[in-house]
Amino acid sequence: MPISTGEVEKIADLAKLKFDAQELERFVDQFQEILEYIAKLEAVPTEEVEPTYQALEQEDLATPTREDEVKPCFPVGTALANAPDSSEDHFRVPPVIES
Amino acid sequence: MRSELCQLSIRELRERIEGGDSSVTEITQSFLDRIQQCDNKIKAFLTLEQESVLAQAAKLDRELAEGKSGNGLLMGIPIAIKDNIVTQGVRTTCASRILEDYVPPYDATVMGKLTQNGAVLIGKTNCDEFAMGSSTENSAFFPTCNPWDLERVPGGSSGGSAAAVAAWEVPGALGSDTGGSIRQPAAFCGIVGLKPTYGRVSRYGLVAFASSLDQIGPLGKSVYDVAILLQVIAGADPKDSTSVARPVENYLSELDQGKDVKGLKIGVPKEWFGSALDRQIEQSIQAALEKLEGLGCPVVEVSIPQTEYAISTYYIIAPAEASSNLARYDGVKYGHRSAGQEDLESMFKFTRSEGFGEEVKRRIMIGTYVLSSGYYDAYFLKAGKVRTLLRNDYLEAFKKVDFLVGPTTPSLPFMMEEKKTDPLEMYLTDIYTVTANLAGIPGLSMPCGFSQEGLPIGLQIQAPHFQEAKLLRLAHALEDALAVERPELAV
Repeated sequence: MPISTGEVEKIADLAKLKFDAQELERFVDQFQEILEYIAKLEAVPTEEVEPTYQALEQEDLATPTREDEVKPCFPVGTALANAPDSSEDHFRVPPVIES
Repeated sequence: MRSELCQLSIRELRERIEGGDSSVTEITQSFLDRIQQCDNKIKAFLTLEQESVLAQAAKLDRELAEGKSGNGLLMGIPIAIKDNIVTQGVRTTCASRILEDYVPPYDATVMGKLTQNGAVLIGKTNCDEFAMGSSTENSAFFPTCNPWDLERVPGGSSGGSAAAVAAWEVPGALGSDTGGSIRQPAAFCGIVGLKPTYGRVSRYGLVAFASSLDQIGPLGKSVYDVAILLQVIAGADPKDSTSVARPVENYLSELDQGKDVKGLKIGVPKEWFGSALDRQIEQSIQAALEKLEGLGCPVVEVSIPQTEYAISTYYIIAPAEASSNLARYDGVKYGHRSAGQEDLESMFKFTRSEGFGEEVKRRIMIGTYVLSSGYYDAYFLKAGKVRTLLRNDYLEAFKKVDFLVGPTTPSLPFMMEEKKTDPLEMYLTDIYTVTANLAGIPGLSMPCGFSQEGLPIGLQIQAPHFQEAKLLRLAHALEDALAVERPELAV
């Protein structure tokens, strides 16, 4: 099933990525090749097989619980230290609401 | 003397420190000198902590002199850490432009455990961006070279850690393994690397790539050194709910007791010896299997029928998890932000497109595609089901044998640029390693010989869940029996 440029653009939009025309062209070809390869799985009979989403054994699958206690956390300055932009103890981003 | 200290194993360095034969400062300086001498050719390090490591070494020397030092397993040993494991106050980039200036406010659990045991952090090592790759060529900064042949790749993604250990720049290092990223570079660099059982080592502070597959593990020059490192980093962690509460075995006493390996059964999966396997590697593995028989281990053929589908399964599940994990890089809380964007949507898109490299974008795209409505069942759900079948293959095989043994890689270390432009070709190099991650079992790569060209050959041992002690015992015995002779390094 060949994948179209439009479809790749749609996926890029979902993934919040942007490609220029040249990148997109190269991408469509590689994408196609990889999808054809992974489609090999169609040949495996999997009726009545349950999927595995994690690798732990059943006996190790406990949901840990703990007391709901307040513990020390990063001060605001530390939490903001890596932020590209901040103001008055907040992360700052471009406008979200249209004016 | 100094020029030789850097060639010693962790075990030997510990003895020198305990016996008062060398100071921590002398040892640390020896590794720094070696890095100074050869890292312009190897390029294993992204960040070198020269000043702080010497200060730390001096502090430990004072404590040792005053008898105040603890009895940590790594007292005074310099260690390097892959740059996708966070280190408080030390830049952690994941070899990505998007985290180029990121300085973590906290330590990964494994880093804390190293420090508590007296290790000193010498630097952060290069890798494929976000651990996505098999050659370290996907680093956003520069590729790392193979210490046995500078024109070849060191493997990846933990290529910096593996090359640094092989080139005597550091006696031991940590890496991470999502589909072979510790074992494959260990094989390509002629050292020992272990991916522990999923859940054996805390992932807290490991920058997430594919959360159901990622595992931190040790790289060292010998099986014993790898056992020391695993002893330090293993164990449950309240900060990682997928770390497992089973008691940590005493790996070192397992090796110190010198128990023999007679009677342990070895399974050789027939699917691992197909036409894709390099002839020299095949011969070297066969010779090692004969050594194992000589140690009293019966060798039988077994089958892991889903091997053929392992790469397809992995390259659906890993990118799917990655596309979700990497959504956090949005230019808001940390990392790169595209300048001058006037609305949020554009800021997200330009930030991510400028910050991520080509392979990372490709995997985010594949992951987004296989999770998108209309394709989820055909790809992601299907891969989850084949993963169950693969896991069952292993459980069946381990009813008959104690270990699986075979090659770590289908080929010898390849040339720089050889596979860089063909992503699928690069993915296929992971054929023998991804299965352990999908099944969650431990896998170890160790040198079993060198090719005619003087390139290392790696042998892989896989074991059932949480059987690291027995796995290390077998590897230790095989290491002794093989006594691999090493050619000269290229540096």
